[in-house]
Amino acid sequence: MKKLYLVFAVLAIAALALSACGSSEPEAATVSEDDCADEAVLCVGLVTDVGEIDDKSFNQSAWEGVQLAVDEMGAFSKYVETKDAKDYAANIGLFAEKDYDVIVTVGFAMGDATLAAAAEYPEIDFIGVDQGQWGGEVANVAGLIFPEDKSGFLAGALAAQMTETGTIAAVLGTDLVPPVVAFKEGYEAGALYINPDINLISTYHPGGMDVAFVDPEWGATTSKQAIDQGADVVFGAGGKTGNGALIEVASHEGSLCIGVDTDQWETVPEAQPCLITSAMKLITPGVFDLISASSAGEFPAGNFLGTVGLAPFHDFDDSVPQEVKDTLDEIDAGLQDGSITTGYGE
Amino acid sequence: MENTNTLPTVTPQQLFFKRWTTTIMVALGIIAITIWQYMLDPQATEAVLASTVRSSTPLVLGALCGLMGERSGVINIGIEGQMLMGAFIGFLANVWTGNLLFSVFAAVFSGAIMGLLLAYMSVTLKMDQIIGGTVINILALGLTGYFYQVGLTTDGKMQSISLGFLADIPIIGPALFNNPPITYATFVLVFLIHYILFHTKWGLRSRSVGEHPRAADTLGVNVFKVRYINVIAGGAIAGLAGAFLTLEAVGSFERAMTNGRGFVALAVMIFGKFTPFGAWGAALLFGFANAIQTQLQFADIQVPHQFIGMFPYILTIIVLSGFVGRTHIPAADGVPYEKE
Repeated sequence: MKKLYLVFAVLAIAALALSACGSSEPEAATVSEDDCADEAVLCVGLVTDVGEIDDKSFNQSAWEGVQLAVDEMGAFSKYVETKDAKDYAANIGLFAEKDYDVIVTVGFAMGDATLAAAAEYPEIDFIGVDQGQWGGEVANVAGLIFPEDKSGFLAGALAAQMTETGTIAAVLGTDLVPPVVAFKEGYEAGALYINPDINLISTYHPGGMDVAFVDPEWGATTSKQAIDQGADVVFGAGGKTGNGALIEVASHEGSLCIGVDTDQWETVPEAQPCLITSAMKLITPGVFDLISASSAGEFPAGNFLGTVGLAPFHDFDDSVPQEVKDTLDEIDAGLQDGSITTGYGE
Repeated sequence: MENTNTLPTVTPQQLFFKRWTTTIMVALGIIAITIWQYMLDPQATEAVLASTVRSSTPLVLGALCGLMGERSGVINIGIEGQMLMGAFIGFLANVWTGNLLFSVFAAVFSGAIMGLLLAYMSVTLKMDQIIGGTVINILALGLTGYFYQVGLTTDGKMQSISLGFLADIPIIGPALFNNPPITYATFVLVFLIHYILFHTKWGLRSRSVGEHPRAADTLGVNVFKVRYINVIAGGAIAGLAGAFLTLEAVGSFERAMTNGRGFVALAVMIFGKFTPFGAWGAALLFGFANAIQTQLQFADIQVPHQFIGMFPYILTIIVLSGFVGRTHIPAADGVPYEKE
């Protein structure tokens, strides 16, 4: 009997270890982590928000930006996955103590931990994805932010032109995260810009930060509820919750869906039957640009504005009429020169 | 000797109303609101009801899993883990074979294996059952998280099957008679488990083992066997709930995608007073709260959405604190049986 207890104890410990440990894979490079103290070696560490590095969304895009720096500049890179919001500071510390040159922290929620670490390690450059620096500039922190409202505006304008029922929906992560709110407000403003009488139904996940982005079943159920009352275009913006919404739309013939953050044609192939485009924020080039700036000694403090836009239409290229494409181009130009405003944050 | 102390006589009708008044009032209230809303906006009302049924399905199944175990004296807080394992194995089977029916069986089977593990820990090893359930939850989270590879995709998920003219009944038709297969199976399971628990020899034995295992043992009931079979069957039902998530609702797997539904199912089971129909009603109430808070946002009505989401939990606390009738918890629940 005692042996059996032992077996269970080992099983339980193994399970704990499997679920708790954040995997981090060093890249096979000629340099190693021990060289990071050396001035000549560029070391980049990335701390994910709660979630995985391969989340098909912002963690993954940021990591791809780091990988670009590895390829182009021969940097050394490593990541750590945050399993619990309490570990933000500890995870940043893993890199800071080893004298990394640049540390990328992904996600709005990590803003405070990033600023605290920046004060403690003034010689390290910090790139905070989605972390607006509204409280004043800190010399070694660059907040990579995006005008999500413009991206959402384009998506909304497209949705309003493609809908046949006159009802369009948005299934969103939590309103606790400003970029999600910006996507929604932009989407609605864009739809109303095209058709002031359009029926907009949008909803946020009711849960907190820990579940709002990782609840595909809620996303799916909610988007069905929207489709059942006539919505034929659904914008899914909210990590895996949004992905669940997209996949649900794919099983309703004639309905369209719009992805978010990255080109989800590649990341959520199950949604291809409905995925007309994605409201993208180009995190990968933004992270890469900031790493190169840091390496060149020209690190920009404060807010660094990345670019946004719609993903290619892929298989829907033929079903989007040319005049719709022209209108989108006009709106895009208008948003850039300021003749069209989304109304968000004013 | 005559008993002069006459007890107040309680007719069965009075007993019935005493037990069910609150339930009936809540149900009537919801029905009245529903009909009123249907007259205002039929499409939205039917959408809310369909959504209610859909979000209640994993909760009903989870609660059925829980009450199979608890009725025979085994506390199961590992529902979450059993569900997650079922969801994962079902998803993998679907990726490899593309056969949805086979995948459902794989999910159910893996849930049953998790049930077997729980039964082994709590019946044979006589471990603390809370710890046993926790082991299952952590084990499932760890194994599925470790073995899940991003990029696995499936061809699709189960589609709704409309039951002809029944689906055209106003208000309830689309919600009840236009569902995918696992949802129908859930309806059947509620009746089936009610029948088994309260109208068969096996059910009587299960309940006696949950109330007074020693007495049952004296009468020749094999306590261990009853508990094993019920806990394994419960695990299989939790596996079906997992299959619902990956094969019917979402069509894909994500790490930790059960998101606490196994624990909400526990609340649903207690709220439902450890009965299948009670659990069904409670799950529908939870699902209704979910659908309503979505609908309020759709209608752009500015109520804090957390507030509506909170509503069923407050009711659960009220039920637990004994304001609404007494909940009878099986007397031997959570106590390992020692044969003399």
